[in-house]
Amino acid sequence: MTPPVWIGLRNYQQLIHDTVFWQALAHSFIYLLVTPILIILCIILAIAVNRKLPGINAFRALYYIPVISGSIAVGISWKLMLDTNGLLNGLLIWLGVIQNPIQWLAEPSYTLPIAMLLTTWMGLGYYMMIFLAGLQNISDDLYDAAVIDGCNAWQKHWYVSVPGLRPQITFVAVISSLAALEVFNEIYILTGGLGGILNSGVTMVFYLWQQAFKYHHAGMASAIAIVLLVITLAFSVMNIRLLEQGTESES
Amino acid sequence: MRTKLLAILALLGILLAACGPAATATPQVVQQQVIQTQIVEVTPTPGPNPESVIQNVEPNATITFWTYYLSPTFDDYIKSTIARFQATYPGVTVNWEDHQATFQQDLNNAFAAGNAPDVINLSVGEGWVSDYATQGLLLSLDDKVPQSVQALYFPGLWKEQLVKGVNYQFPWYQSIPVELINTQIYTGTPQTDASGNVTYTGGAGLKVSDFPKTIDGLPALCQTIKQKTGTLCDIRLSVNDLLSQMVYEGNVKVISDDGTKFTFNSPDAVSWLQMYVDMVKAGTVDKTVLVSDQDRVGLDLFETGKAAFYQTAPNLIRDVRANNPGLYGYLGVAPLPLGKSGVVAKGSMGISVNAKTKYPNASIALAQFFTNPTSMLEFAKIVSIYPSTPSSYDDPFFSAKPVAIEDSAKPLAKGIVATYADIVPTIPHTTDVNTIVLNAIQQALFNEEKSYSNPLSLFGSRLTCDWSFCFVSDCGGGVLQLHGLQHCDSSGLDWVKKLSAIDS
Repeated sequence: MTPPVWIGLRNYQQLIHDTVFWQALAHSFIYLLVTPILIILCIILAIAVNRKLPGINAFRALYYIPVISGSIAVGISWKLMLDTNGLLNGLLIWLGVIQNPIQWLAEPSYTLPIAMLLTTWMGLGYYMMIFLAGLQNISDDLYDAAVIDGCNAWQKHWYVSVPGLRPQITFVAVISSLAALEVFNEIYILTGGLGGILNSGVTMVFYLWQQAFKYHHAGMASAIAIVLLVITLAFSVMNIRLLEQGTESES
Repeated sequence: MRTKLLAILALLGILLAACGPAATATPQVVQQQVIQTQIVEVTPTPGPNPESVIQNVEPNATITFWTYYLSPTFDDYIKSTIARFQATYPGVTVNWEDHQATFQQDLNNAFAAGNAPDVINLSVGEGWVSDYATQGLLLSLDDKVPQSVQALYFPGLWKEQLVKGVNYQFPWYQSIPVELINTQIYTGTPQTDASGNVTYTGGAGLKVSDFPKTIDGLPALCQTIKQKTGTLCDIRLSVNDLLSQMVYEGNVKVISDDGTKFTFNSPDAVSWLQMYVDMVKAGTVDKTVLVSDQDRVGLDLFETGKAAFYQTAPNLIRDVRANNPGLYGYLGVAPLPLGKSGVVAKGSMGISVNAKTKYPNASIALAQFFTNPTSMLEFAKIVSIYPSTPSSYDDPFFSAKPVAIEDSAKPLAKGIVATYADIVPTIPHTTDVNTIVLNAIQQALFNEEKSYSNPLSLFGSRLTCDWSFCFVSDCGGGVLQLHGLQHCDSSGLDWVKKLSAIDS
């Protein structure tokens, strides 16, 4: 690395003209779709495992396994499954859905959805536990009252469980959206450190890493880090406001 | 009769021997003594050791030697060579250190701190020699190494990494890239029928000896393999150094002679790229491997038995044997197909001397000693590397018929290594240029959407604009140049237009 030279705001000026940066920014925002998907899936899952059935604890534990598995190990296993000669292609060919194997990880339009799927799958157990804890705090009396009022099973959850889980929903929204903005491991493993064909998987943190550690552009990387800081800060403030509003309305 | 003859001959011999001293005149004896004194005066220190070829080695010099990824596998070899060196040049002490993943980082820090090693093992293939030499950190060798010593090396290797016409490295061990072939896919499983005819089933039915001699043959080969076996070709672009690949494979002129302008916006470059574009469009290559920046990705695909062939070095065949012994028995080896330049590759490793060493002669002596014919031959005997010195190949070791497939390149090695040359000119800011070129090439290879032809032109114009701007006004080493378009040179957009043409 060469000694620093004062260039004012030129790194930012360059960032504005950098198409890959805008792509990365767009991908990071698209990645935020993981948050609502996670919330909906985890609530459904929490309701499903919130029953007193024999062996239910084993189910809860199984859903939690991806959370405690290292993200690198998970990434590698998924990569093997999605490989040209992997499990998924084998299955699809066996079922007769496709004739020739698809190069899942070499299709630019699939890179981001696959990474998002991976993040969702890994987060499922953790957020499910949070919602499960929330559900167990909701008094049974409320459900009994709802049944007396004529609610069916679906309405019971819509009118009792979901409002009761509001603090948990806000918490999960804050945590998972921040995690989505700083996604790196999944992209790194799935794209072999390249960011996907045509930069199809490059997110903000990945681009930051590329600039800093691959191209040794410390200045550019710092500029990206500052932009990322501003975005995450704005998100956190917004989320905390929502959280405060939630507690206020509850009290 | 025979005994008599022998007896006479013996007697004659004794008589002649007895006559010898008596026949020698006394002045001649005096002359002999004079010669002896002269010999003592001419060789004051090392004695007549043929390996001692560098003169005026500083007495009591202590020098440091850094190698790259050689310990612990080659500890014995390195230590015994150092011991032989110290015996050849008595009084010199060598401290050896092996650095691995952090080699370059350690070396940069050491240069910055002023305590860099005296003798350094640098990769020629990765461009380290030219990097450090350009920064003035290495000792130029042409004027310090006698002509007779320079002549020990292949001329192409001695001159392969010149910086402004000067050499900064002793060429060290070389490797020979080959095409490794999985004959189960490439040829098929042999089956002998009742009449003794051998037929091949389950493979593409191709012969290893018919592997294409030039890269132009690859598209048709991949088409055949895909049609007959459903397997994709395991070919990788040199993603980390695309300009080099353009030069070796497409014989593309990438930069102007005065080094001020990129010139790869040419029909040569377009036709080089077109071959890969066609293969991607035909769906005959594995796209993940094609643009992967790690050799491991392609090698893994081959090792798992899912590819018909892969370009690699013979020393990696050990890897195949360790990871998939079942495949090892079905391996074939073919010479690498040549590109339009006709040059296979550049050499791999060199040894350089620190420009600021306190003991230049001792350091040069060590660098030379490790790369001399004897040391190189010893090294080649323990691992599949190839010497940079032609005379090492005279040893029967190289002419012996190869037993293991790893050694199949051995009898041909001399001829192949002799052709090695670095034909890629020095490229300024290689990494940055490569990134932009990679983006443009990916667009040409994979982008089928018309709407994307605009970003494509952006990448292309960015390249021409940035660098032409930098050449005229120095942007300073550490500052990444502006990617703005204000410094555009529209004449450079040809490359872009051609890429767009390919795209559409």
